[in-house]
Amino acid sequence: MTTIRLVDAAAVEGKTKEIFDAVLTRERKVFGAEAVSNIWRCMGHSSALLEANWNRSRALMQRGRFSPLQRELIATAVSVANACTY
Amino acid sequence: MRLGVDEVGVTELMGVTEHTRAMATTAAALLLDGLDTARPLIAPVESVADGIIDEIAAWSASALGSRAVPLLWRILAHNPHYLESTWRKETAVMAAGALAAHDKRRVALGVAMSVRGRYMIEYTSAILRRAGDDDRDLLEILGVVDHYTTLNTLSEGMQIESDIRPPS
Repeated sequence: MTTIRLVDAAAVEGKTKEIFDAVLTRERKVFGAEAVSNIWRCMGHSSALLEANWNRSRALMQRGRFSPLQRELIATAVSVANACTY
Repeated sequence: MRLGVDEVGVTELMGVTEHTRAMATTAAALLLDGLDTARPLIAPVESVADGIIDEIAAWSASALGSRAVPLLWRILAHNPHYLESTWRKETAVMAAGALAAHDKRRVALGVAMSVRGRYMIEYTSAILRRAGDDDRDLLEILGVVDHYTTLNTLSEGMQIESDIRPPS
């Protein structure tokens, strides 16, 4: 069970809303998501952490030489190696 | 799977992941801190008339630019069954299939970095460099490892339930 309440994506404002909108646009394209995923909603309690990690996500997962598939393959394998169930 | 990888591709990805993780554990257990470790737990076989070793030497000449058999394989050569079954698995798991062989090596490096397997980092990065990857490519792999270590830590620390499902 999640140890904190997740931020309601429909209730956020300002910088957090701006980032959630960008996250959803991205996740809709990549995963067919219909809502901001839980991992980003958990960060919504700290807009500074949310913004820092979103900026790193854009830098590391959306830019570079590799294709989106190549990056996701590595990401999935790393998550398995880290025993992450999410 | 949204990116076009089917169940076969996912299974191949898990094969690369578990194999690399196991190899990193094996290398660490043998106290291999790099390709040129001076004092491993078990001394390598210096000279062996073995078809598998010859096969690895031929592969090494192509993949690493030298017929020298990597240290880990020379240590496993003390047990021919261990050597052959592991080498056969390596070639099967890392061969092109639903996923490209080069992508599999990049995944392997990501796993080796993630589990801090120094020997496998050196081994896999040497293969990738020989295949044409440069510093920027290796840094791109590290960037994914770095970022997903962040996301994995957050999701495990907060016990976030997954809400991303495969396409139906």
